[in-house]
Amino acid sequence: MRGFEAEGDVLVAVLDDEERTVIARIVADVGLLLGDVRFDLEGDAEDGSGDDEAALFAGLSDLGGTPTRPRDPAVLRLLPTAAPDDAEVSDEFRRLTEGDLRSLKVDRLRTMWRQLSEGEPDWRLSLEDAMPTAAALTDVRLVLATRLGLDSDADVDRLHEEIDAGVRALDADEEAEVDHERVWLGMLYQALSWLQETLVACLAAGQGDDV
Amino acid sequence: MAFQEDLSPEGSVATRADDAWVTLVWNDPVNLMSYVTHVFQTYFGFSRADAERRMREVHERGRTVVSTGSRERMEVDVQAMHGYGLWATLQRSGE
Repeated sequence: MRGFEAEGDVLVAVLDDEERTVIARIVADVGLLLGDVRFDLEGDAEDGSGDDEAALFAGLSDLGGTPTRPRDPAVLRLLPTAAPDDAEVSDEFRRLTEGDLRSLKVDRLRTMWRQLSEGEPDWRLSLEDAMPTAAALTDVRLVLATRLGLDSDADVDRLHEEIDAGVRALDADEEAEVDHERVWLGMLYQALSWLQETLVACLAAGQGDDV
Repeated sequence: MAFQEDLSPEGSVATRADDAWVTLVWNDPVNLMSYVTHVFQTYFGFSRADAERRMREVHERGRTVVSTGSRERMEVDVQAMHGYGLWATLQRSGE
């Protein structure tokens, strides 16, 4: 994996097949979690009709009442309570904004999923796509962090130590001592953090210090 | 004209109905310091130095006030922050 670098007015990262597949899959998972949509089953030809259908279903689900606080802590982190001490303000905020926020996030994830599913080793972003992609990477990392139980900086430090220990144990053939799923999710979290860091560094460099 | 309020610095903020609310951004272990700084610069128009100062305040003190104004205005800012994946809340100023 090579992080994002500016090439003229395009930002380019290089991923191998496996990296692309793994990242595309977690992006699709977060899309499913947030929008109840399967990116891999959506038609890619007629965006218009799909949107009409989505709008129809969104309209139908509105009949079911106003959105309530998400039960899944990962979804709640992406759509947080706006005023924890004021239920009336929080409920109204959720009623007014949750649909738009879900659409914004799902659309960004879909764009990212499609870019990663094109089968090209270069992941190329226009400057316009850069910030939406950085935000989508944030959403994916927030979901992974919730699943990994990362509530504090100390939790993140502990995860790094666990991963190092896990990798050492695997190298020494001590399979039994490793929580494979946790190490694997943790490594994915680290990789996405690094990728996002390189992307934001490109944006900051492009912006200069005088804004 | 509300020149009275405009003449006085910080003190009158909490007494004006329009400025009775604040948007807070809270610390979390996930958001990158560089990303938070970039969001503060691009969305609020803070200078790099000001954005970094506020980002550090979030990181070290757990939260910072990023905007002040009417409830409706703060709802717009909180929605924008949630859009970027930052953990933001609104509340009455002085609470």
